Amino acid sequence: MKKRRPASIFFTSVLLIVLYFALFPYPLGKELVAKPVWAVSVVPAPSNSPAGGEPAPTAGPQGAFPFRLGDVFGYVEPDGTLLHVGHRLFQVALSRSGYINYARTGTDWIMRDPRGERVVSFSGDGYPLLSADGSRVLVVNSDLTGLAEVDRNGDPAWTRDFPAIMTSISIQRNFLLIGLLNGSLQLLNRSGALLYQGPPGPSRIPVIYGCAVTRDGSFIASVSGIGPQALTVLGQSGASYTVALRAGLSTDFRREVRMGFSPDSRYLFYEAGDAVGLVEPQGGRLSAVPLRGLFAGSAFLQDARIAAFAARDGQRVNISLVFPFLRTLGSESFPVGDMFLGSVDGQLLLGVGGRLLRVDVEAL
Amino acid sequence: MRQACLLVGVAFFFLAAVLPLRGLDWPVEKKIIIGTFAQDQDGHFFDGLDIGGGQQDVHAVLAGELVFRYDEDQDYSSLPRGLGSFVALHHEGKIETTSCNLKKGSLGPVRTAYAAGETLGASGDTGSSDGVHLHFSLYDEETASFVNPLSFLPPVADTQAPVIRRVLLSAGGTLIPLDNGAKVPAGQGQIIAEAYDLRQDVRFHWPLGLYGVRLEVDGKEVARIVFDSLQVSDGRLTLGGARLPLGSVYTGDGLVKCGGVDLRAGNSHLDLSVRNFAGNETTKEISFTVRE
Repeated sequence: MKKRRPASIFFTSVLLIVLYFALFPYPLGKELVAKPVWAVSVVPAPSNSPAGGEPAPTAGPQGAFPFRLGDVFGYVEPDGTLLHVGHRLFQVALSRSGYINYARTGTDWIMRDPRGERVVSFSGDGYPLLSADGSRVLVVNSDLTGLAEVDRNGDPAWTRDFPAIMTSISIQRNFLLIGLLNGSLQLLNRSGALLYQGPPGPSRIPVIYGCAVTRDGSFIASVSGIGPQALTVLGQSGASYTVALRAGLSTDFRREVRMGFSPDSRYLFYEAGDAVGLVEPQGGRLSAVPLRGLFAGSAFLQDARIAAFAARDGQRVNISLVFPFLRTLGSESFPVGDMFLGSVDGQLLLGVGGRLLRVDVEAL
Repeated sequence: MRQACLLVGVAFFFLAAVLPLRGLDWPVEKKIIIGTFAQDQDGHFFDGLDIGGGQQDVHAVLAGELVFRYDEDQDYSSLPRGLGSFVALHHEGKIETTSCNLKKGSLGPVRTAYAAGETLGASGDTGSSDGVHLHFSLYDEETASFVNPLSFLPPVADTQAPVIRRVLLSAGGTLIPLDNGAKVPAGQGQIIAEAYDLRQDVRFHWPLGLYGVRLEVDGKEVARIVFDSLQVSDGRLTLGGARLPLGSVYTGDGLVKCGGVDLRAGNSHLDLSVRNFAGNETTKEISFTVRE
């Protein structure tokens, strides 16, 4: 006699299939929606103001984002209101809370807030440098062997000399990482005291080509050396730093490379020839985002969920938007001269063709 | 002090012996020195030489490998570079030379190897510069020190002796002019001098740094400073094997601290000698009285 299968087996099978899809859904991939929000022209108005042609301020500095497009710099608010537009003199040190527009020669500088109001004035030999949030004001001496920090009153807080020429620097609120021509990294604390120093790894000719430190100082990274050139990530281990990741590179840079950590310290990006290398220091993951041209800028959007990378290929600039370690969401190409890539309120701030554009990126 | 002198001597001997710099040639044709090694440059030691002479080709002083280059307004930089456009070469024997303030765009395409005498670029006024010049520095990787290029470059004709304009005694917080016949208080003090070398090629006053300072009191050498190398000690660039910090060498207003003295009552005699790189020397002898 033929035995009948119980109906429960059928229902169990169906349930298991449903559960499988519920528990392990297939990632269909998100659709990128890039929505232009506003565009403004950033031609500075002629003026006799002291910092080089800035118009009178129209609003407060809260929430203003800095930009630099060729010789023009300024601050824009999330709604597209230009708070400040000026011409750089020789260079401009830009930060969220203020800027220093300085001439090629001179030893006296004024830091101004995003409205152009004087914050502090100070003196030194060399050129000024600001941290991204403007909380730190540094002076790099003219032969690149010394660094000084000035306090809120413009008085010297500390100075330090280095045993070789500085090739690169990474500034965080409480940390300062310096790469040297002799292949050594020096990590300093807020008061300029040495926390760590050493070469990141062996190479025929030790040189630091780029360096980066996370906001909390938990990781430091560098691209260094000739024969071989390598990426080294060091992780904090007690009072010192030990190698967390070391990868040989096929590049042969003889100039400074762009590199940095995402604001949340989750990702490290570095220039890698015709690509941007991405590293997740905590998990040890590495990947590469191919670029069309020379790496020219980066920005992290929406709490670093999305990264934007710019590459220049002659007179064209290509912007790529990626989900780190997942996929490239999309890319766009612009026939422009000067270009700026930044963020405003966690969204993309793009400077092309003398205009600033806010583009809100959504992945649906 | 004897120990310090010994250290200076040992360091100089070491540098002279180990640096394989035979055959080092000038990086430019017109050798107009406008800034000298270890001068006080706004509060820190100057780490190289400034060479004027207008725009001219800058050559590799030895065969070498390119280790770093920066072209102003072309290359990315995370820090402002007062050196302007520059090229750093690595040479055999762990020596590095850096040619700075080069003309923007004169660096040419990126190459990795340069033969001695090959053109690196043209002198210019990029970076923190008041005019067209070349900033040239020489670095010894082995000892992690900047060394004075004039110690190793072929000598330049110079018949002009350096100048000692005035000598002062710093004691008890006051500066006392020290001339023949002066009467000064007994005790410890510091001999300070307005002393410099002068450019020979111009008529106007253009002071340059010295190569050596020697101080003798009553026939006994009490101090010797040689401006031959700079290295970092405790986060400060220091001079020579004695590792003198800037504040031990310069007063901050253009005067040189020549050395400390302990003056006892009676008649004293001081010999202060200063020397430039060509070996020209000027000595000032001062006889004075030390009061009780």
